[in-house]
Amino acid sequence: MSTNAIAIIGFVALFGLMLMRVPVGMAMGLVGVTGFGWIVGSGPALKMIGQTSMRTVTDYNFGVIPMFLLMGAFVSNSGMSRELFRAANSFVGHRRGGLGIATIAACGGFAAISGSSVATAATFSAVAYPEMRRYGYPQSFATGVIAAGGTLGAMLPPSTVLAVYGIITEQDIGKLFIAGIVPGILAMLMYMGTIALLTALWPSYLPAGPRSSWKERAAALTDVWATLVLFCFVVGGLYGLPFLPRFTPTEAGGVGAAGAFLIGVLRGRLAGADIRKSLLQATRTAAAVFTVLIGALLFGYFLTITQTPQKVTEFLTALGIGRYGVLALIMLMYLVLGCLMDAMAMIILTVPIIFPVITALGFDPIWFGVIIVMTVELGLIHPPVGMNVFVIKSVIPDVSFSTIFYGVLPFIITDLIRLVILIAFPILALWLPSHM
Amino acid sequence: MVGAELDTAMVPAAPKGKRSIMDRFIDFIELVAAFFVGIVAADIFISVLLRYFFSIQIPDAYDFGRLLLGILIFWGIAATSYRGTHITVDLVWANVNERWQRYIDVFATLVLLFVVTVQTYTLFDKVATTRADNVLTFELHLPVWPFFAVAWAGDVSAVLLIAIRTYRLIFHPEDIGRGYQIKPVE
Repeated sequence: MSTNAIAIIGFVALFGLMLMRVPVGMAMGLVGVTGFGWIVGSGPALKMIGQTSMRTVTDYNFGVIPMFLLMGAFVSNSGMSRELFRAANSFVGHRRGGLGIATIAACGGFAAISGSSVATAATFSAVAYPEMRRYGYPQSFATGVIAAGGTLGAMLPPSTVLAVYGIITEQDIGKLFIAGIVPGILAMLMYMGTIALLTALWPSYLPAGPRSSWKERAAALTDVWATLVLFCFVVGGLYGLPFLPRFTPTEAGGVGAAGAFLIGVLRGRLAGADIRKSLLQATRTAAAVFTVLIGALLFGYFLTITQTPQKVTEFLTALGIGRYGVLALIMLMYLVLGCLMDAMAMIILTVPIIFPVITALGFDPIWFGVIIVMTVELGLIHPPVGMNVFVIKSVIPDVSFSTIFYGVLPFIITDLIRLVILIAFPILALWLPSHM
Repeated sequence: MVGAELDTAMVPAAPKGKRSIMDRFIDFIELVAAFFVGIVAADIFISVLLRYFFSIQIPDAYDFGRLLLGILIFWGIAATSYRGTHITVDLVWANVNERWQRYIDVFATLVLLFVVTVQTYTLFDKVATTRADNVLTFELHLPVWPFFAVAWAGDVSAVLLIAIRTYRLIFHPEDIGRGYQIKPVE
């Protein structure tokens, strides 16, 4: 049997197993090893399992994932999100749509110290949603803005999804994190602009909240010092700012986790139960991510032996639609895949095949990391499997899925425009990392 | 409070008042993994602190960090496999009735059991060859294989826990948390 036929059978089996809810990493590992064994022999294939598994879990550089997850868990459980929302709200809450703008600003601040979109959405469903409803914001807008704000978690550093992309493609994770800053800030500004536009078009749609005094604003600002210190130390250390020690991404994660822990404990916000909960959250998520990483690496051997990435590259470059035509096709594929599976599964499954195409076409791998994360994050908020929407629904059970999807629609349009801007101006993502 | 809500959304727990020895065993395995996460973070933080501010290097901090990482991940995989919080594609599962959901879950767990059993078998070979090759840490020259053996024990636990999950899914599905579970990895 030809390697082409084996590759096709492998992909069919992989999708079949995944649709039968076999964990993505396990399905990739099983198909990868079986396919590799079919071509090379069962002995080397079995040997590969133990070696790849142990090498992956004992790679110091991969420690970046559990460390940033732990930092995010400590931050979530020590209530920093409420302080961020209060500070942002005190400055803009009195304007029409101001609570929505405050939610976006607080989501951005929270995303800057937590690497998870889902955690950001869940946190602000509990923090910002009751406030918006109290002042008469429509349910659809209140949930939509939280779902969209949640996606900032994957763009602003630290980002678990960008770290996984960096591991799979062997790119500098520190540079990827820094590359996400400008697109992340752009996302915040464009979301805020969308809210301002909605308010301008329909003035009665989003009411104004109460105005805070300057004394209240100053008090709210002093409460966010912990977030600022943590962000500056971790991201500043990654970037190599003067007067700060320069960290590797794993060190930045370890220091960030320890910093979040110390700040939480010293401020009396983290007690024994919260610490235990944070450790458990980080462990569970890290184990889930590492399972897919091991599976992806095993599947990668199968792809290599069947020369699938080379064949896909040859096929796409021979289409004669130019490099941006191929890129548009890839983006379209991700948007469609976003209707079927979640962001992490999409990245791990497709990047090993798509990445060689991107490098062959001469695109920058760091820039593509940002673009691909933006694209798959769209899948977090568009139907039918928008993960952020599921999260919001689990925290706010009385809201329907259709209401949330309706509310998130303007932000999906904003995201598509932002994607075009980032494709047209790669410098937006590449300027900061070029100075590292 | 927020964390509690997030936690509840993520992980199905056994019904209150029915926490058997098995549930406590599963909790213990999770705590072992969680303990190692804390140790790895402390190892990185202290070694960074000493290196940058006092120019002191903890011997083998790098090796300890990565070996402990391996332990925490394999023990974490054990807990994650039991809790059913792996990354999955739920498209079909979410659109069928509860009976078919159970069939799908049983099938997926049986495949998981097979894969992790094979992995455990091959990992034992890796532990044995590491011992035979006398692989040592870089600075203190400690043998690496005991760390690998502890990590392997985590994988053995995973096999046990997945077997328990399979048994419960087939014979006592009420002991396994039902409903859509949110994966906190994005």
